[in-house]
Parts: sequence; structure tokens; C-alpha cells
Amino acid sequence: MPLLSTFLWLPIAGAIVLAFFPRAAAGAIKGFGLAVSLITFVISLGVLRGWQDGQAGFQFVESLDWIPQWGIRYALGIDGISLWLVLLTTFLTPIIFLSGWNAIKKHPKEYVIAFLVMETAMIGAFLATDLLLFYIFFELMLLPMYLVIGVWGGANRIYAAIKFFLFTIAGSLLMLLAIIYLVFQNYHQTGLPTFSIVDLYGTPLLPTAQLLLFFAFSLAFAIKVPLFPLHTWLPDAHVEAPTGGSIILAGVMLKMGTYGFLRMVLPFFPESSARWANLMITLSVIGIVYGALVAWVQPDMKKLVAYSSVSHLGFCVLAIFAMNQASIEGSILQMVSHGLSTGALFLLVGVIYERRHTRLLADYGGIARTMPIFAVFFVIAVLSSVGLPGLNGFIGEFLILAGTFQSHPVAATIAATGVILAAIYLLWLVQKVFFGPITNDANRNIPDMAWHEIAATVPLVVFMVWIGVHPNTFLKKMEPSVQHLIAQIHGRVEREVMVAKESSRHRVVESSSLEDSSPRRLVDSAGGAR
Amino acid sequence: MNLQPLLEANWQLAILPELVLCAGGMLLILFDAFAPRFKGALGPLALIIFLAAAWAGNLFDQTAIFFGGTYEVSQITKLFDLTFLLAGMLAILFARDYLEREGFEGGELYALLAWGTVGMMMMSKGLDLLIVVLGLEILSVCIFVLVGYNRRAAVSNEASLKYFLMGAFATGFILYGIALFYGATATTNVRVMAQWFAVNDATPLMTVAFVLLMAGFGFKLALAPFHPWAPDVYQGAPTPVAGWLSVAPKAATLIALIRLFDAMEPVLPKVSWMNMVAVLAVLSMIVGNAVAIVQRDLKRMLAYSGIAHVGYMTIAMLTVRDDSVAAVAIYTITYALMNIGAFGVVSLLIKNQNDPHTLDDIAGLGFKRPFYGFALALCMFSLAGLPPTAGFISKFYIFKTAIESGHTTVAIIGILTSIVSVYYYLRVVYYLYMREPVAGHEVPTGGGVFAVGALMIAVIGIFVIGIYPSPLFQAAGHAARALLLQ
Repeated sequence: MPLLSTFLWLPIAGAIVLAFFPRAAAGAIKGFGLAVSLITFVISLGVLRGWQDGQAGFQFVESLDWIPQWGIRYALGIDGISLWLVLLTTFLTPIIFLSGWNAIKKHPKEYVIAFLVMETAMIGAFLATDLLLFYIFFELMLLPMYLVIGVWGGANRIYAAIKFFLFTIAGSLLMLLAIIYLVFQNYHQTGLPTFSIVDLYGTPLLPTAQLLLFFAFSLAFAIKVPLFPLHTWLPDAHVEAPTGGSIILAGVMLKMGTYGFLRMVLPFFPESSARWANLMITLSVIGIVYGALVAWVQPDMKKLVAYSSVSHLGFCVLAIFAMNQASIEGSILQMVSHGLSTGALFLLVGVIYERRHTRLLADYGGIARTMPIFAVFFVIAVLSSVGLPGLNGFIGEFLILAGTFQSHPVAATIAATGVILAAIYLLWLVQKVFFGPITNDANRNIPDMAWHEIAATVPLVVFMVWIGVHPNTFLKKMEPSVQHLIAQIHGRVEREVMVAKESSRHRVVESSSLEDSSPRRLVDSAGGAR
Repeated sequence: MNLQPLLEANWQLAILPELVLCAGGMLLILFDAFAPRFKGALGPLALIIFLAAAWAGNLFDQTAIFFGGTYEVSQITKLFDLTFLLAGMLAILFARDYLEREGFEGGELYALLAWGTVGMMMMSKGLDLLIVVLGLEILSVCIFVLVGYNRRAAVSNEASLKYFLMGAFATGFILYGIALFYGATATTNVRVMAQWFAVNDATPLMTVAFVLLMAGFGFKLALAPFHPWAPDVYQGAPTPVAGWLSVAPKAATLIALIRLFDAMEPVLPKVSWMNMVAVLAVLSMIVGNAVAIVQRDLKRMLAYSGIAHVGYMTIAMLTVRDDSVAAVAIYTITYALMNIGAFGVVSLLIKNQNDPHTLDDIAGLGFKRPFYGFALALCMFSLAGLPPTAGFISKFYIFKTAIESGHTTVAIIGILTSIVSVYYYLRVVYYLYMREPVAGHEVPTGGGVFAVGALMIAVIGIFVIGIYPSPLFQAAGHAARALLLQ
């Protein structure tokens, strides 16, 4: 049985079965959802077992005719870029069901169905190697998320859900046109209709066309990331979404944007990407600093974490457009790290919200004494998010900054302040909530974390430590694919530079050197310094 | 005069579906007259007649031209026949439960649906513009009566009268346009006209003729700015009829227009006629989607959304080639499923026909009646063009065709307006799942096996076309090549 298809379709198959469950059997529904997502996770681990190290291209490839008239195929594959993101998705879904075990009282059946459909859509978007298949999964995940925010969200949920949906759909519909145009151009030149992402990599485009397509694709992904100034939907969506929705949104869905940049924007339009890299880098740096500053002044815990996401994902985009081995590997690792640490933070904010029904910092203080287990987990998650050496956040940010510094020292320097600001606002949050005297009497008797909440948090912490202590487990598997990607981009950009030099002696981009930026060496030297 | 040469061999077989529907319509009326106690059987009987017509259409599987070069039977006309029959059957299924509930069941409604379908079949098969007009008139007369079928409801009468007055004008425009074309080309047959256009240039008078034709057909299609009748008529018509009316006549008019555009193809690059059509398409997309936002009445909202959808279909036709025929054919099938499905759910709300069917009436329906809610939500997602529904794949085909023909600007406008449309389609989903019913104002829902069956057909069809469209593409692609002259 094809491995990728098996764990891709298992969640949606579970959702279909679940549709026939009696509405009243809430326990059975949740148990079934948890079981399906756990089995999915276990099957997806099979990818690691059959993984061939050192291979840059797609592995476990599946390819079937789907709409042969247009050259659209049902094509799946996994490589070093998507591997950890797929596993992150299958890993986080059971955690969501565990964390929301008691929190979801309204329509539990529809809740579980929505998350299972979403899981298939997200895995599918990471696995698809056909552009239309990718697009379908990319859009499909919007519908359940819209319902999750709109049905199970907070007071202002409708506004947030509609805003989330319209922002994302606006970007992706324009991308759809760009996809059609790109495929048509390729068909024009080769005479063979194809939607295969790899086959489209070499499509030659006129400069204007490439520029427009670059912006159409970038807009869609920048909204999803979200990149400053397109981030305004994110705080609303996060604050209103139920805990599970926030975890998935921050943990996986935002990574669709950064993944799209890596998988599509850079290799499809390398020349435009190189030419406009400075714009993207500037926007990411603004996002990093702006997100951090806004997070600092938030009175609401969830909003604080949401803005910290804007800041942290700015690092990922910054690293992608720095376009070297260390920065891109750092970016992918940071995507996974952010999924773990921000996922944990949203989960824990959900835990305390469920008990006290407030997220305002001012309502808390000194609860480390009433909820010691909770405090331990929260502090670990915060430290991981801050980038404490030994935990996951450090590795990603270090690689990103070290890599970016080689080509864009100024941007890297400004971005580094984001790390410092993160330490300020997150430790500020910890101090306000957990330490000091208990000022609010309501905080004196809060029950500590329940079994299912601990069970949901422990795996996250395990991986935070694992990535922090031994990142090479993760870096080793992505290295060949990233190397290949970079060689591909630089090959085309340098060719263009040479052509440009010959014709007008005009230098377009500086190609950055690749020699001394092996991330594993950087990590090792950083470890030594530590 | 000897009529024999006019009747080619097998002509009876070629028009068998039309004959079945004509005879079936009369049978329905007679059945109602002689066995008034078995009104409940009328719906199933009508369904059998439609199925028989579909079967009859399959007996003749060649491309051939009949009646002295005026009537074509080919793969593509069969595909459109199936679309008309599908639309008719869905309407019958919803109407069966609706009429029983409202207490005015009768054979006339089903008979008029059958005869209207005959009119549409003539429009899609007619190679002579006069045959097209004949079909259009048969259809229109049926629609006048169908819209006013609930004669006790004031809105129904109003709608019928409006459609009659405006429709009569529109037909006049079309006939005038045909007359002017006849004056220049000395023919009303599109095939002969094509030969004329291949050697001659268009005259200025022909521009007038084209404008008149587009005004008339634009009215039938509800293209902006000829659209204002649509919301009133849909609102007043019995809901299942409104669903049928919003889909089937448009499909028939589009195929007739495609034939005409194809015949004019040699001169089109030299005149700005298609720019006019492009303006109509753009206006429809903008007006339809923008005005739908402020509608609170579901039927009116669907009417404006329909105006926008005709705009989308029109942009595929700006350059006529086999892809545009196939894209329109697939879009109309999809549109039949999702739009009649949406009207069908509205028809299940037990309300006085004079009262508006507003968004508040469906508040909380998604959890109260999960299947109705799911079906309506799916139809909305499909109308909005979101994957993995049929609406996505059809819209994708339309935009793909437009871009490949070089109409990128129009395609971009289409995409931008469909972003707008997402808002009001999602609002329906919002009312279905995120609003509690207004206390003391709950609207009961009716429905029986027939309506549920129709919804099942719509739901399954939307998923099947959305997920595995390949066989349909293949059929439509083959058929489309048969239609065009090259």
C-alpha cells in the first residue's frame, strides 16, 4: 500500500466514518478522533524508516493520472524540505484532541470532523508535487478552519473568521490565475501540458511576466505567513479561535506560507526572487521588530503569543530570502520549532483560560505557587520560544542569523534585536503571571494540569529538548534537498547575471558564497562556544 | 409542393427525446384530468418521462443534420440535452414535495417543465436562427405560466407579468436583429451565414443587428445591464421553478450564442463586437457580485449571484474554440447541480410564498437539520468556487480558457469579483452554523424522500465532478470539437 496516500487519506476517512456516529456519544467521538490521529502519526513515522539519506529529490513518489487532458496528476512525494513539516502536522493533531478533551462541549462531533479534514488538507499540501493538487489542499484547509473559528471561537469570532477567510482567499485566488498562466507558458514552450511542480521549475518567462507571477505567488504566501503589513488577520484569528484552532493555525497553517516560498517562489522565479529579496527582507525585519514591540504591550496573553508569531515567522522569511544553506536550513528548523513552542504556549494559555476564563495578564500573579506543574511547562515553552541554548528555538534562530549575516549583515543585526525583545516580552509575561505575590484571590485555588493536558504537553517538551540538544537528527535529513534547491536557484541567477553583464555591464545580484556556511559546522561551533 | 426531401432518414429517431417530452407533457395533463385522486403520482410519472427522454436521446448516436439543414444532432447537443433533463429532473423532485406541501399540485407544472425542455432542446440544436427563436418562444411561454403558477400569491402574479412584458420586448429585439442579419446575408441559417462571413466583411448595419441580438439574448441570460427582472422573477416564482429558471434557459441561450459567434468568427477580429460582449460580462460580474452582498433574501441573493455566474460563463466565449464550448457545457452542468440544489434547500423552508425567505430563516439550520445544512453549505462553497467542489473545477476551466485565449484582464476582473462573492456565500454558511435561530421565529422545514433524493444527487454530483472530472472533460472535449465548423 502506498505509504504517503495511506496517512494522507486516513484522517478524512475517519471523518467520514465519524459522520455516522450518534451525536450523544461525545466520549466515543473524541476517542475515535484521537485514535485516528494517533494511528496517522504512527503510520507517518514509516517515512523515517524508509528514508534514504543523502537523496535530494522526492522520495516515496506516487503518481497517477488524474485529469490527463490538462496534464494534472495525483502526484505525491516527500523530500528534506517537507519531511519535518509533514511529521509536525501528524504530531500536533493528536495533541489538539488531547488538549481539547474537556474544553469542547458544543458540537464535539463536528469539531473532531473539522480537525480531521484539516489534517488531510495540511498533509496533502506538504506532500503534493502537482501544482493543482497543492492548490486544492491549500484551499481545502480554509473551510474547516473557518468553521473552527466561527463555531467554537470567542466573542468576536465571526469577524475574525470572515477576515481570516477573505484575506487568505484573496491571495490564493490571484495565485490560481498565476498558476494557470505559468502552466500555459510552459505548455506554450514545451507543447506538453503539465502541472508538475518539478517540471515547471525551468519555465522560461519574460521579465515582466516573471515579476507579476512572483508577486502573485508571494502575495498568497505572504498573507499566509503572515508578512508585515499583511498580518492584521492573524491576531484576530488567534485570539478568537479555540485553543486547538490556535495550535494548528500557528503550528502548521502559517508554515504553508513559508513552505510555499521555498517550494515554489524561489525555484519558479529565482531571478525575481533575487532582485526583490531586499524588499522581502526589509518587510520581514520590520515584521520581526514590529511584532515584538506590539507583543510587548499586549495586556492579553493570547494576543501576546499571536504577535510573537508574527515576529518569529519574520525570521523564517528573512532566512528564506537570504538564500544560503545555513539560513534556509535554519528557516525550516525554525518552522518546526515555532510549531512546537508556540503550539505549547497556545495550549498552555488555553489551559489557564479554561480555568479562569480570562487571559489578561493583570488578572494573574503568583500562580506558580498554586499551579506548579503548569508553571514548569510554561516556563520551558517560553524559554524555548525565547531561544535559550539547549532548547529548540536557539538552533533555528542561530542558523538563521548566522546565515543571513553572511549576505545581509545589517538585516541580521536588526533582526537580532528581535531575539532580545522576545526575551523581554516573554519573560515579562512569565514574571507577571507566575511570580510575585498572589494579588487576585481567584487565583488561590486553581486546579493544576489534568492528565490529558500533561499528556498533550510532554511530547512537545521532549521534542523541544531533542532539537535543542541534537539538531543534527533533523538537519541531516534536510541537507541534500536544501543544497539542491540552492544550487538550482544560484545556477539560474548566476546565468542571468552573466547574461546581464555581457549585455550591459550591469550587475543585478550579488551571489553569496556557499563554501563556509555548512549549518552543521555552524551548529557544532556554536555548541563549542556554549 | 413535395415535402419528402425535407425529411431525412431517421428523423423520427433524432428528435425522439423531444417527441417523448411533448407526448409526456400531454399525458401528464390528461392523467391529472382523469385521475385527480392520484395527484401524488404525477411527480414520479414526470420523472419517468424525463428519464425516458434521456434514454431516447441515446438511441441515435451519430452527428447528422436534419430538416433541410436546420436541425443538428450531435454529441454536444446530447450533452446539453442531458443538462436540460438533469435540471428538469431536479426541479421535478423538489417541486413534488413543495407542491404537495403548498397544496396546489397539478399536472400542468410538470407538463410545462417538459415542454420548456423541448424549447431548450430546439434552441441548442437549431442551426437556423428562426428555429432558435421558435424554441426560445416555446420556452418563454412555458416560463410565463410557470412563474405565475401559484396564482393566489401576489408576488407570483407580479413576477409573471414582469417577465412576460420584458420577455416580449426581448424577443422583439432578437427578431429585429435577425431580420437585419437576414437583410445583409440573405439567410437565417448559421452555417450559410458562416460561409457569407468567410468571404464578406461586416457592414455597419450589422453592428446594429449584433447589438439588438445581444440585448435580446442578454435579457434571456440576465446579463447586466439587462438583468433587473431576474431578482423579482426568482423571488416571485415557486422556489423549485426559480432554481430551474436560473439554470436551464441560460444553458440553452449560451449554446445558441456560441453557434452564432462561431459563424461570425472570420469577421470578429475586424469588428469590436466581442469587446461589447466582454463589457457585458465584466458588468455582470461586478454588478451581480456587488449587489448580492446587500441582499438578505436568499432567492434574490441567488439571483444576483446567477447574474455574476453568467458573466463568468461569458468570458470563456470571448474567443470561440473547442475549449470554450466544453467549459460552458461543464459549467452549466455544475451550475445546474449547485444552484438548483441551493434553491431546493430554500424550497424546503415552510413559508408563505409572499414573504421573503431571508437569511434569518436558515439560522442554525446546520445543526438542526444536518443534511439540509450540509447540502446548502456545499452548494455555497461550490458557487464560491472553492475546491474540492465541482464549482472550483468548472471555474478553473473557465479562467484557464480565458487566459489561453489571451483575455487575461477579464480573467483578473473575474477573479477579483469572485473574491467579493466569497463574502456573501460564506455569510450563508455563517447563518447555517454560527447563528442561533431567532427565538419564537423558527422556520419549520418540510421535505420528503424526493427532495432528499434531489439533494443527494446534487451533493454527490458536486463531489464527483469536483474530485474526478476527467471523464466529463473527455466527453465534453470530444463533443465540443463536433460543434465547431473547423
